[in-house]
Amino acid sequence: MSNDRNIIEAHQLSRSYAGFRAVDRIDLHVPRGSVYGFLGPNGAGKSTTMKMLLGLTTPSEGYFVVDGKKNPENRVEILKEIGSLIESPAFYGNLTGEENLDIIRRILGLPKSAVSQALDLVGLTQYRRRLARNYSLGMKQRLGLAGALLGKPPILILDEPTNGLDPVGIHEIRALIRSLPAQFDCTVLVSSHLLSEIELMADRIGILNHGRILFEGTLEDLKAYGLTQGYPTGNLEEVFLAMVNEDNGRRGMIR
Amino acid sequence: MTGSRHGKNGLYLEGKKLKRTGFYPAFLAGGLLSAAFPVINLAVRPESFLSLEGSPFHILMQANWQLMAMINVLLVLTGACIMYHTEHSGNAILKMSSLPFREGSLFLGKALVMASVCAVVLLIEAASVLFCTIHWFGEEGMLPEVLIGFGFSFLMLLPALLCSLLIASVCKNMWVSLGIGVVCIFLATMLPKDDFVLSLFPFAMPFQEISGEIHKLLQQVPETVWKLSAAAGAESALFIVLEFVFLKVRRWF
Repeated sequence: MSNDRNIIEAHQLSRSYAGFRAVDRIDLHVPRGSVYGFLGPNGAGKSTTMKMLLGLTTPSEGYFVVDGKKNPENRVEILKEIGSLIESPAFYGNLTGEENLDIIRRILGLPKSAVSQALDLVGLTQYRRRLARNYSLGMKQRLGLAGALLGKPPILILDEPTNGLDPVGIHEIRALIRSLPAQFDCTVLVSSHLLSEIELMADRIGILNHGRILFEGTLEDLKAYGLTQGYPTGNLEEVFLAMVNEDNGRRGMIR
Repeated sequence: MTGSRHGKNGLYLEGKKLKRTGFYPAFLAGGLLSAAFPVINLAVRPESFLSLEGSPFHILMQANWQLMAMINVLLVLTGACIMYHTEHSGNAILKMSSLPFREGSLFLGKALVMASVCAVVLLIEAASVLFCTIHWFGEEGMLPEVLIGFGFSFLMLLPALLCSLLIASVCKNMWVSLGIGVVCIFLATMLPKDDFVLSLFPFAMPFQEISGEIHKLLQQVPETVWKLSAAAGAESALFIVLEFVFLKVRRWF
C-alpha cells in the first residue's frame, strides 16, 4: 500500500506485448502535491505506464496504488480522482468544444459552471462554440487539457500536454501546470521527452528508457548523480542524454 | 469530484453525442420511406390486395414486410456504424474509458438510444399500415392486431441491433463494421425462411413477421412465435455479454 507522502506508487509494474516488454518492472513514487515529470525518449514506455495508471491497459506484472486504492479492484474509485490527457487529444469532432466538455461534466456530475471555468483556464472561451473537428492541433490539445482539469481533480495525468502548441501556448500551459498544485491542491504527473521542458515544471522527475526507470528524484539529485557518475554536468539535458546513451550502450544500441 | 452519474444520464448523453451526425434524420427518412411502401403499393394496384381473403393486416404484411424489414435492418446497421464512428474517429472512446463509469453503460446507452429510434420507426410504419387498413379495406378495429405485429417486429430487431453495435464497437474502422454488416444482411436474405434454425441468424430475424386474425393471435400463438421470441431474448443477452467480455479482454492487447 502507498504511504501518505506518495499519492501514486507503482511496484514492479510491467507491460509486455507479444514478447516485447514496453514497461519493465518499474517502481514509481509520486509525492502528494507535487509536479512529477516523467521523462524519456520516444518509445520509452511513458504512455504505456500512464495508460496502466488509468486502467486503459492491464499490467502484465506488478501493481500500483493511487491514493491508497489498489487497481483493478478500485478502478472506478481511482478514476474519480484523476483527470487525464493521454496521447493525442480525444474529442467528439461533431460536437463543439463546450458540448464536449459538457459530456464529461455530466458524467462527473459537476455543476454547469465547471465547463466555463475549464474553458477559461485553457484560453478556449472564445472558441467554445466551434466544432472540435475544426480546431487547430493546439486548440485540440487545450480542449483535452480542459477535459482533464474539469472538476479540479486531485490528480492530473498529462501525457506530453504541450504537443502541437506554439511557443506562446507552450509557455502558457507550462505556467498553468506549474501553478496547479498551489491553485487546486492537486498532484500532476506530466510526461515529456524534453528535460528542458520538464525542469521548468517538475519538482521531482523519473527518467525512463526502454521500459526501465534509470533515475528517480529531484533535479538536484539528478545533478548530484551526474557528478558521481562522471557525466558532463554543463546542463541537466547533458546528464539526461549521457544517462540514456549509457543505458543504450549497455543494451548494445547506441543512439 | 462527485460520483458517477452516467447511469442516470446515459440515454441523454448517448443521444447528445449523435448531434450533427445525421443519425436522427437518417432514421426518420428511413422510417418514412419504409412506411411509404404499403401506401404506394395500395395506391398503385389496389385491386391486387383488396380482392384477397383474410385479415387486411396479414395481406399488407405479406406484401410489404420483406422490403420494410430490409430498410429497418439497414437502418440499424448504419446507425450502429455512425454511433461508434463518433467514438473512434476523434479517439473520444479513449477519454470515455478514462472516466469513472462502467464502460458497459456506454454500450447499453447506445443500445437504448437505438432501440428508442427503432421503436419510433416501427410506430411510423405501424401508422402507415393502419392507415391502409382503414382507407382501402374499411377496417377500423385493426389497432390491437397491428400493435401486436409491430411489437413482435421490434423484438425480432433487437438481436440484429445489438449484434451491429457489438461489431461496430470492436472495429475501429467504420467501413469494416459496415462491410461485415452488409455481408450478414445479404446472407440473411439468402437463408430459407422455413428453416427454424437458420431463421435464428440475428440478421434474418427482422424479416420474420406475425400477422393474422386478432382473436386467433390472442387465443393460440403459434409455437414458432414463442420460440423465436425466446431466441431473440437469448441472442440479445448473448451479445450484451459478449460486449462486456470484449471490454475486459481488450485491455490485454
